[in-house]
Amino acid sequence: MLSQDDAQTIASSLLSRSNADGCEIVLSGMREHNLRFAREGATTNRTAERISLRIASHVAGRVGAVEIASLDEAEGLAALARSEEIARALPRDRDYVPPLGPQRYEESLRYREATAAAGLDVLAAKAETVVAEGARRGVATFGQIASGAGFRARATSAGLFAYERASEIELSTTARNFRDDWSGWAGAKSNDAEKLDAPSVARRACAKAAQSETPRDLEPGGWTTIFEPEATAELARWLLHALDARAADEGRSCFSKKGGGNLRGEKLFDEKLTLSSSPRDAFAPEAAIGFEGAPQRARAWIDRGALATLYLDRAYAKQTGAEPIPCPHSFRLAGGDATLDEMIRATKRGVLVTRLWYTNMLDPRALLLTGLTRDGNFLIENGRIVAPARNLRFNQSLYALFGKIEALGPAEPTWSALYDEGLAAAPPMLVENFGFSSKSGGI
Amino acid sequence: MNAPLPPELKLGQAHAAGALDEAALLRLADLALDLAKAQGADYADIRFGALVTEYLRAREDRLEQATARTDRGFGLRVLRGGSWGFCGASALTEAALRDAVETALANARAVQRIQLEPIVVEALPAYTARWIAPAAVDPFAVGIDEKAEFLLAVTAAARDAGADFCTASFLGAREERLFASSRGSRIFQTRTRVQPDFSVTAVDKASGRFASRDSLAPARAAGWEHASACGLIEEARRAAEEARCKLFAKPVTPGKRDLVIAPSNLFLTIHETVGHSTELDRSLGWEANFAGTTFVKPPMLGALRFGSPLMTIFADRRQEGGLATIGYDDDGAPAAYAEFDIVKDGVFQNFQMALGQAHLVGLPRTNGCAYADNPRAFPIQRMPNISLAPNAAQTSRDDLLAGVEDGLYVVGAGSWSIDQQRDNFQFGGQLFYEIKQGKLGEMVQGAAYQGRTLDFWAGLDGLGDASTYELHGVFTCGKAEPIQLAPVSHGAPCARFRGVEVLNTDA
Repeated sequence: MLSQDDAQTIASSLLSRSNADGCEIVLSGMREHNLRFAREGATTNRTAERISLRIASHVAGRVGAVEIASLDEAEGLAALARSEEIARALPRDRDYVPPLGPQRYEESLRYREATAAAGLDVLAAKAETVVAEGARRGVATFGQIASGAGFRARATSAGLFAYERASEIELSTTARNFRDDWSGWAGAKSNDAEKLDAPSVARRACAKAAQSETPRDLEPGGWTTIFEPEATAELARWLLHALDARAADEGRSCFSKKGGGNLRGEKLFDEKLTLSSSPRDAFAPEAAIGFEGAPQRARAWIDRGALATLYLDRAYAKQTGAEPIPCPHSFRLAGGDATLDEMIRATKRGVLVTRLWYTNMLDPRALLLTGLTRDGNFLIENGRIVAPARNLRFNQSLYALFGKIEALGPAEPTWSALYDEGLAAAPPMLVENFGFSSKSGGI
Repeated sequence: MNAPLPPELKLGQAHAAGALDEAALLRLADLALDLAKAQGADYADIRFGALVTEYLRAREDRLEQATARTDRGFGLRVLRGGSWGFCGASALTEAALRDAVETALANARAVQRIQLEPIVVEALPAYTARWIAPAAVDPFAVGIDEKAEFLLAVTAAARDAGADFCTASFLGAREERLFASSRGSRIFQTRTRVQPDFSVTAVDKASGRFASRDSLAPARAAGWEHASACGLIEEARRAAEEARCKLFAKPVTPGKRDLVIAPSNLFLTIHETVGHSTELDRSLGWEANFAGTTFVKPPMLGALRFGSPLMTIFADRRQEGGLATIGYDDDGAPAAYAEFDIVKDGVFQNFQMALGQAHLVGLPRTNGCAYADNPRAFPIQRMPNISLAPNAAQTSRDDLLAGVEDGLYVVGAGSWSIDQQRDNFQFGGQLFYEIKQGKLGEMVQGAAYQGRTLDFWAGLDGLGDASTYELHGVFTCGKAEPIQLAPVSHGAPCARFRGVEVLNTDA
C-alpha cells in the first residue's frame, strides 16, 4: 500500500522523464485475504499483495500504454520508453483527447483502518461463527469471507494528481440441509469490518436452509414475486450497464430513440424507480475518482422513472461537446416504506426470491434478461410463507419489470464480491407477472 | 481430429524473450521451500510466473486502445497440520519470500479452528522439466503498427460491406511459470495464446432495431499466424451482410425442434453442461457458495447414463492449439494424467480432479486438472481441454441436415445461462437457419434453445466425422472466490439433437 506522498513521488519522477507530448501515470495496489469453507471445513485461503504501474504516453495524437507489476525505477523507465514507442507505431486518433488536468474530487468515504488491518485470523473467527450456527441448526455451511485494502493514484503531465484508498470486507454463506435437497443463502459487504455482522448472516442463511418440508414445484408463468434486496440489486445492475450514451445515440441500445438520438428525459419506468450513485452514499459510496480520472459526483441515472443521465467517456464527450460522465460502479436503488412482511401479507399467491444466478442479456434492445433463482425460494399463499419452492428460470424484460413496481421496502446494503462492481444498496421489491419460463432441478 | 496429437514437445530451449530470470527464481524457490519445511510445513509448493499480454482494439476507423502489460509474482502454498496456508505477492525478492513463508504458515494455523476434516494430499513424483509450446510467429515480435493495420482492415471490410459499426480486437498472451515443490519438482513452462475477435452491428434507426454478429474465429494456443490466417477480414465482410439479414429475418417459430449444432456453438454447451458438471470439487461442495454444485455425484461413476451411446467426451492436455494444452498442471502433475474419458459411449466415467481430492472418492491420485490464473492465486481444479469425439464413420454436416424434417441449424456462441447444478440451461447463438426437409433454409432471428442437461444429451442422434471437427475455446472461464479466469478449449464435430425446446426471445 503506497502512501499518497510516495505515490506522488514515483509518478512525478516518471512524468519528469517523459519525452512524449503528454503522459498519464496510474499506480494501484492492494493487499487482500480470503478464506473459503465447505462441508469439511476450511478449503482454500490466501493472503496476496499486488502492485501495478500503468503508463500512457501521448505522441502526436496517439496513445500507447504499458502496465507492469513493479515499482522498480529501471523497469518504470523501460515501461515509459516502451509506451512512447507503442504510441509512435499507431495511426493518429481522430477522437484523441489529451491528458486530463487538475480536477476537484469529492471526499472518499471508502477506507477504514480497522478493515485494512483485518487479517486471516479475524476472518477465520468470523467464519467460525457461521460454521457453529450451521451445527446448531443442523445444516452444512459453505462460504467465503474476504477483506482487503488498496489504493489508486493518477497523475498526468497536465497537472492532475489524485489519490484514493478503499477497504472492503465481505461474507457470503450458503447453507444446505443434510438431505442436500434444499439451500439458503445470505451475504453482507461493507467498507467497515466492524459493521460486518457475521452472526446475522449465518442466522439468515441457516434459517432459510433448515426447512423440513419438501420443496414445491412451481409451474412456469407470470408470478407475483417479491425480490429480496440482493436479487433487486442484481436486476438493477443490468440497467446500470446499459446507460452508455454513445450506444444510445448510435441506435445500438435500449435507450436509443427511433429515428435517432437517445431517450434521455423520457419517463420509461415506474415512478418509484430512482437509481443513483454518489461518493457520499451512506450505504454504497461510489469511488471519488472515476474512469479516466473524471470525478464521480452525485448523479441520478433514473429519476422517478425518467431516464436522467447517460455516461460517456472523454473521447465521446469531446465529439459531442458534452462533459464526460464516468460510468458508475456503485449505486443505490431508492427504497420505499413497505416492509417485507407487508409485501408478503399483501400477496395472495406468489414467490419470495432470495437471490438470482447466471443472469445474462438475451436481447439488449428490449433489455430481455435470462437467469435463475437460487438458494431460497418460498411459496406465499394468502399472505403467508407456506413452503420452500424449487428454482425457476426466468426470461424477463427489465423494461416491463421496472415499468410497474407494486411496492418497495427500505433500501439496505447488499452483498457483492470483493472489489467487484463496487457497492450497492437496494430494497426488497414486489412486482406482478414476473416471467418464469421453465423449471430447474438445481438446488 | 483436425490435427494429429503433437510429437514430443521440445525441451531445453529457453524462450528468447522470457520475462523471468530462471536462475534467480530457482534460488528463491529453494529458499522458500527449505524455510517452509524448516518451520513446520508438511508439504509446500510455489509457483512463480509472468503473464505478458498485448491488447489492441479498433472501432470503425479508430485504433481505440493499445496496451502492453506484464504481470508477475509468486504464490507459496503450505500444508501444515492438515490445513492449507497461502501467500502471494508481486515482488520477486528474498524479503517477499521470507514474509510469504511466515504468512502462509500463520494462515494455516489461523484456519485450523474451522478445519473439521484435515486436508490430505497424495505424494506426486518429482519432475525436473522444461516445456515450451511452439508458436510459429511470436505475436510479440509482430509490430504494433502491423497489428493496428490488420484490425483497421477488419473494421473497414465490415463497414464497406454495410455494417454500421464494427469493433475488432486482438489479445495475445504469453504465460511463463516455474513450479517447484518440497518433493523436488522444478518445472519451467511457457505457452502462448491469441484471441482475434470482432463484432459487427447493423442498425435500422427507423424501427429502432439493431442486430449484431460476432466473429466465429476461435481463441487458440498459437501465435500471430492464427490471427492472420483465420480469415477475419473476409469473415467481417460476410458478418456485415449476415447482421443486416438478421435484422430483417423472420422470427423463429418456437417449440420442440431438432437441432444441428455447429462446433462454434456446441463447444460452449459442452463447456457448461459437461465440463463444469464433472468437476469433483463442485460435487464435493467446495464451490457451493459461488460456482455451485452439480447433479453428478461420486456414486454415479461408471453408472450415470449421461447421454446417447454416440456421446464420448474426452479430456486432454495435448491437442495442438488447445488453450489448456500444457506439460504439467499447477500441482505439478504431468499432462499424461489428464488423458481420460469423462463420458464414454454415453456413460459417465471420470471426474476432473486436482491435488487432494481423489482419495475422497476412493481413487489413488489427481488426474492433472489444476490451474491458478496468476501466480498469486491458489491453484484449484480447472478444466483441461474437453472435447466431443467425432464419429468414426463418414458423416458430413449435410448428412446430419438430411435427417431433419423441420429444425434449426445453430452457428456461433450467443447468450448463455445454466443453473447452479448444471441442469437447466439456455443458450443463444450468432446465427440460426431453418432446416426444411433436410436442407438449409432461411435465416431466422430471436432464437435460443433451452433444455435439461441429461435430456439434451440423450437426444444426440447424429455425429459428424473428423472433417467437421473444430477446436474452439474461451480465455476466461470463471470459477472460485475470488474469481479466477482460465483458458480452455473444446473440440466438437457438428452434431444433431432431437426434440430440443426452442424459444422466440422476441415474443
